[in-house]
Amino acid sequence: MSASRLRRAPIEWQKHRAAILFVLPALLIYCLFVVYPLASSLWGSLFEWRGFRMRDFVGLDNFARLFVDPSWTKLSGAFTHNVFWFCGIMVLQNGLGLIFAYLLFLRRRGTAFLQSVFFFPAVLSPVIVGALWRLLLTPDGAVETLLHNLGLLEGRLTILGNSTWALWVLVAADAWNWMGLPVLIFTAGLRQIQPEVFEAARLDGAGNGRILWSIALPQLMPSISSLTTLTFINTFNQFDLVYVMQGVQGNPNFATDTLVTYFFRLAFGAEGAVGITDIGLALALGTLLFLLLTVVTIGLLRFFERRTVRF
Amino acid sequence: MTNLDISQRIRQLPGWIVLALWALVVAVPLYILVVSCFKTTAEIYGDRFGLPTNWTLDNFANAWTQAQFARYMWNSFAVTGGAVVLTLVVSAMAAFPLSRYQLGWSSPVLAFFLAGVMLPIRLASVELFSLMKTLDLLDSRLGLILVYSAIRIPFAVFILANFMRVLPRELEEAARLDGAKEWRILFRIILPTIKPAVAIVAIFTAIAVWNDFFFPLIFIFDDAYKTVPLAITTFIGQFRTDWGMVFAALAISMMPVLVMYLLLARQIREGVGATGGLK
Repeated sequence: MSASRLRRAPIEWQKHRAAILFVLPALLIYCLFVVYPLASSLWGSLFEWRGFRMRDFVGLDNFARLFVDPSWTKLSGAFTHNVFWFCGIMVLQNGLGLIFAYLLFLRRRGTAFLQSVFFFPAVLSPVIVGALWRLLLTPDGAVETLLHNLGLLEGRLTILGNSTWALWVLVAADAWNWMGLPVLIFTAGLRQIQPEVFEAARLDGAGNGRILWSIALPQLMPSISSLTTLTFINTFNQFDLVYVMQGVQGNPNFATDTLVTYFFRLAFGAEGAVGITDIGLALALGTLLFLLLTVVTIGLLRFFERRTVRF
Repeated sequence: MTNLDISQRIRQLPGWIVLALWALVVAVPLYILVVSCFKTTAEIYGDRFGLPTNWTLDNFANAWTQAQFARYMWNSFAVTGGAVVLTLVVSAMAAFPLSRYQLGWSSPVLAFFLAGVMLPIRLASVELFSLMKTLDLLDSRLGLILVYSAIRIPFAVFILANFMRVLPRELEEAARLDGAKEWRILFRIILPTIKPAVAIVAIFTAIAVWNDFFFPLIFIFDDAYKTVPLAITTFIGQFRTDWGMVFAALAISMMPVLVMYLLLARQIREGVGATGGLK
């Protein structure tokens, strides 16, 4: 017995050694370029900075500065826009996506083709999508011409420069970009529901609308959960579309500013006098955003886990 | 056709109209983009929706040479290819022992990787910038490759480990008795068996890296190393009046993903279903 243990021990160690050697490259790259910068950003938010140089430990001073004007106006504005963006995507993209998915689910033919058409914009870079829509929506652009031809508009189309409507345009472009995602996820979810459940409801005389609302929706909770979480993470990381369509200032007059564009301006010197950064403030904002994302994501996942219907 | 068929078809009609309308909302902008590439700027102003009267390739030629899209495409290809290969190799190596050896420490390490799927790395971009400066990786394709791989490794390890876990033990035991080394078992036996997972990881890594513009924006200053998305943002401001060329540049930059999508639409659709999201 002791002999076999002696023989096994070196093999086990060899196995561990091989495992460590195999895991090490991925772990090193991940730690060096993701974990370390994130951890040192959180730590750095407690210090005073001069440009890119860390100076003195100041505790929560940077966080306090975030909540005093002029930063507070930008922060609360950007936060409001992110919340608006989240709600807009939930209704416009995920709500419409659910309806499209259900309509596709009710049909036998053309499903795969239409799914592919709807999903295509999702493989395009938000930069390309933003640039395309900016060209189409510019004064003189295709959308203006179309509205003129239909008699719906006279004069210039200035919607991207309009502080009331600009954010709506960005949310719509974002929904256009990613609409295929809820369609795919919801059709996959609908297929997993047992057909008998639908047949029983139909025999009881329920119409398609009623079946969607009372039968399908409660059973789609896993899909709704992952989409809500994804939507939350993506809307609160929103940057590319704003940068391409409205510039890093979130034009017009910060009407489309988001938390990440504000963070970017503080960190890389496009806020206030160009070239002057406020790293302390940027890191404090980054830390808050990091906490918000982590806490809400975990909260969302827990919330949906409790509400998932199991039959 | 019976009466029932007809009445059923009529009841289905509103649904078809809704679906067709969205298909148009997707297709029309892309149609305008494509036809505008072949028009002169004067013709774009004249007739936005019609087909070009004289199909011209000048816009593509101008974008390719004058606006240097050949160079940006090469940078994007090099960075994307490098990141896909590096991500796949190191993630497969890590996923192998973590999912198939009885180690005791594999679940905490997997959880540590998994956390990275959620981490908002953009918020660490200041420290990342300093790090890249220290390592002399600013203005380099290698720098981008390393950062993108680091970001994509959690997702790749997660997917590959999930697929490897369910493979039967017998698969590698025979090879092991024959004295094959771990390296060989992973690349000759395990990976070929889970080709679908490798394809999903490769496709999603490629799309994410090809499309990204945040990291080139902060790490690349020299025009020689700009990737396509970064080039587009500077380019539109510069050449705004030459609509034909701007549209052609957009068309050129979406060509690789378009080709990939046409070839792999099914795998991509199923991949999204299997992983619950692309972003």
